[in-house]
Amino acid sequence: MSCSRIRKWIPLYAGADLPARKARRLEMHLERCADCRTEVEEIKTALDGIRAFANGEVIDWPVAEWNGLMARVKSERPEHHQVSRLGAIPRKAWAYGFAIVLVLGVAALILRSILSPPASPLLSEIISHTPAQPSRSLTIDEAASVSYPQDIPFRVPREQGELDRAVLAAGPAPEKTTQDLMSMTLVSQETGLKVHWTLNKNFEWEEKK
Amino acid sequence: MDEKESRLVELVLGGQTEAFEPLVTPYRKLLLTLAYRLSRNIEEAKEISQETLLRAFRYLGSFDRRRSFKNWLLQIEMNVWRSLGERAADEGTLRELAAWNTHEDPEERLAGKEAREKLLTCLDGLSPREREVFLLRDIEGRSVKETAEVLRTSPISVRVHLSRARVKIRRLVKDRFPGLMEAQR
Ligand SMILES: [Zn+2]
Repeated sequence: MSCSRIRKWIPLYAGADLPARKARRLEMHLERCADCRTEVEEIKTALDGIRAFANGEVIDWPVAEWNGLMARVKSERPEHHQVSRLGAIPRKAWAYGFAIVLVLGVAALILRSILSPPASPLLSEIISHTPAQPSRSLTIDEAASVSYPQDIPFRVPREQGELDRAVLAAGPAPEKTTQDLMSMTLVSQETGLKVHWTLNKNFEWEEKK
Repeated sequence: MDEKESRLVELVLGGQTEAFEPLVTPYRKLLLTLAYRLSRNIEEAKEISQETLLRAFRYLGSFDRRRSFKNWLLQIEMNVWRSLGERAADEGTLRELAAWNTHEDPEERLAGKEAREKLLTCLDGLSPREREVFLLRDIEGRSVKETAEVLRTSPISVRVHLSRARVKIRRLVKDRFPGLMEAQR
């Protein structure tokens, strides 16, 4: 093996952190390479020296300061296991929840921007042109002009017509706007704070409480 | 963690807060010394280890008792140290050493000023990451795996920084303390 490759292993080997197999290969190299042997020895010596320095340098707290610190610590209250768990999870849940809402929102926006130009006119055309449910969606005039056989004792169709009149008077618009509204309420378990968002079909804020 | 520590943790969590002191006393020098080696400033070192102990007390309930209590403390200390942003880390050792006069503060039982200066001179040449890894592995004797756990990193990353640190330390010792190399040869 080449010296350059061995050199990369030497620092780990000198501190006994090289895996056994590599260490054996390195030792085989060391047997016939004085330069690498010197390198190993020097790192070992430096490490031993530093450790010796370190052993002569242990710092301790001045007694009064340590006692003061311990008194301060004991005046605190340890958070109970469950408390800290409960504290940690909702925060995470909040983050995940917010990330999901954000991703969904962005995805919806993208989908909307892709689909919306052809889709919107089509949708409104369908709504305005379809007398879709003929049994219920006769126009007011048609409903009025229909003559019902006299022998039918109950007047379901006419009532139906009147129902349609109400529906038609209101028009298809309200139905459409309710579909295009989306509301979202986020409630913090920690603070009880409620955030209520209402978004219109263009995902613009309508309200924020 | 050993049984004695486990029992003390139990007591503290049960409300007997006075059990906290015997729990952490075996590590008080370690925490302060390590903080000092990281920050190279005694006031900052006190701040770091004080915050470490406060957090250890506060979050004792979340400590997993299958783990080593010592490593858990080291992990907290590393977090505290990092959260301080290593702010004064590069302000230079000399100024700090000049300001630190043991005679001015007789309460501080400080040993081996000369040795400390030598060690610090070498640590100065390492990057913060290299210093963390080097102190935990080569000075505190944690394994590579433990060091990785304490620093919340991978063993591979530890090995990389450790290798660099050892190469630098060899160069630094050789340049600044040639006598040491000769004496030990
Ligand atoms: Zn070689």
